[in-house]
Amino acid sequence: MANKRNWTVALALGAAVIGILVWRPTVLIYGLQAAGIYASIAIPMGLILGIVHIVNLAHGEFMMAASYLTYMVCRATGMDPFLALVPVAAVTAAFGFGIYKLTIRQALKAPELNQLILTFGLAILLTQAANLAFTSQTRKISFDYVSASVDIGELSFGIYNFVFVAIAVAMVVGLRLFLTRTTTGKAALAVGQNPRGAAIVGIDVDRTYALVFSLASALVGMMGAVFITRSSIFPAVGSPFTMKSFCLIAMAGVGNIPGILASSVLLGVSENFLKAFRGTRGWADIVFFVLIITVILGRSIRGKKA
Amino acid sequence: MILETKNLTCGYGKLPVLRDVNIHIGAESVALIGPNGAGKTTLINAITGLVRPWGGSVLFDGRDLAGQATHQIARAGIALVPQERELFPGMTVADNLALGAAYIPRAQGQEERLLDQVIRLFPILKERYRQIVGTMSGGQQRMVAIARALMANPKLLILDEPSLGLQPSIVSEVFDRLSELKKDVAILVTEQNVKESLRSVDRGYVLENGVVVLEGAAADLAKDPHVEASYLGL
Repeated sequence: MANKRNWTVALALGAAVIGILVWRPTVLIYGLQAAGIYASIAIPMGLILGIVHIVNLAHGEFMMAASYLTYMVCRATGMDPFLALVPVAAVTAAFGFGIYKLTIRQALKAPELNQLILTFGLAILLTQAANLAFTSQTRKISFDYVSASVDIGELSFGIYNFVFVAIAVAMVVGLRLFLTRTTTGKAALAVGQNPRGAAIVGIDVDRTYALVFSLASALVGMMGAVFITRSSIFPAVGSPFTMKSFCLIAMAGVGNIPGILASSVLLGVSENFLKAFRGTRGWADIVFFVLIITVILGRSIRGKKA
Repeated sequence: MILETKNLTCGYGKLPVLRDVNIHIGAESVALIGPNGAGKTTLINAITGLVRPWGGSVLFDGRDLAGQATHQIARAGIALVPQERELFPGMTVADNLALGAAYIPRAQGQEERLLDQVIRLFPILKERYRQIVGTMSGGQQRMVAIARALMANPKLLILDEPSLGLQPSIVSEVFDRLSELKKDVAILVTEQNVKESLRSVDRGYVLENGVVVLEGAAADLAKDPHVEASYLGL
């Protein structure tokens, strides 16, 4: 079912891509770059939602905290964020582990609303802590390599942001290998599909949840480190990504990690399509809402028919 | 003695379901019979840690398992085939079976032998080896669930209503297979189908309102006037 849906989406996208490529290539280029960022932030959240069944409303704030950490590390040591991402990911993994053990784990037994309120509270806590520690002033570190660009004929565009596409693809491939080829990964998948059944075959469900939460925190921490190379950071920088990530996951369907990549491409390219014309430039942000409403309405109608 | 419960008491919320249940299982097969709501599934859940016992003990190989987590009890050597099967619906038969053995110390290094054994028992699983479990029929899923439990190389196999939802011809097939297993593993089975289960086990317990009211050899139980009247419809 998920596969069939992926193929239909891929086919429709393929047709659209060829059309746009001929007519206005930058829409596609910048759209893909934006998709890379959306997807690589949303995928760790999708991992948590698919296996632990928790909507982590503090997801973007985890990334924001990792960005500040990277900022401090890079300022203090002169390290490049691409090097700093290793220690930063280790710290956020430990942070995620602690958050899981201290809070999420307790809320898992409670009704879902408690989990939402809990992670929402964590988001506020992290944002305000960043506000106190760093003030609301934006911070930025500049790197020369970010402005790398390429000229093809009359076309000139920045290529640095393709890094995010590579990261997103690496995450999808890496997670797929982990979840389908390793025993620990299969056990995590099993826990996601049926925690009770997993306990019956001897899988430690609580430990699996902790592992997945730490892994996702490490991935989003890594993204936080890389994020600082292209954007300035401020305490509220993470929250729009929480919302977008959640909606991209909803569009893809819970547990469909390659689908997150596809829905990110759809979102990124459509946004940049509107941005390409002066008249519609201001409307780009609405694309996101139109897409999410269309997808969910479509799914409800199809669900009713079935 | 493989398993022994001593004064096991258990319930949900404030409602007691089991009161001072004492059962024991050696190298044999034992049926647990009783009407709906008697506490058969609760007893199994208490043994396997799916619900926490209020009091009493669950001795397995002389070690008290009461209060331990389900995965620890599974690793100790008790494999459960739950009423609801509790498979991994999005995964293949192959992955479901592999996960049955992956975390059980007793099954380590024996996977091939165990797989041969379950395929001999349920040959259909060989044809369906790469099929996604969620797309299989209820009866086939029941076989996957039994096979997954056997992959753990258990000392004690617990089956909760193994014939539930199966057509009668398959029910006797399942019981025939269970009889084959009796030599290698102790079995505790709950069953609505009292006639069929008493025919294939060594001993039985009758549970009513959370209390063991009767126990004895299967042949004797089948002749007992109370059992005949209540469960065999004679």
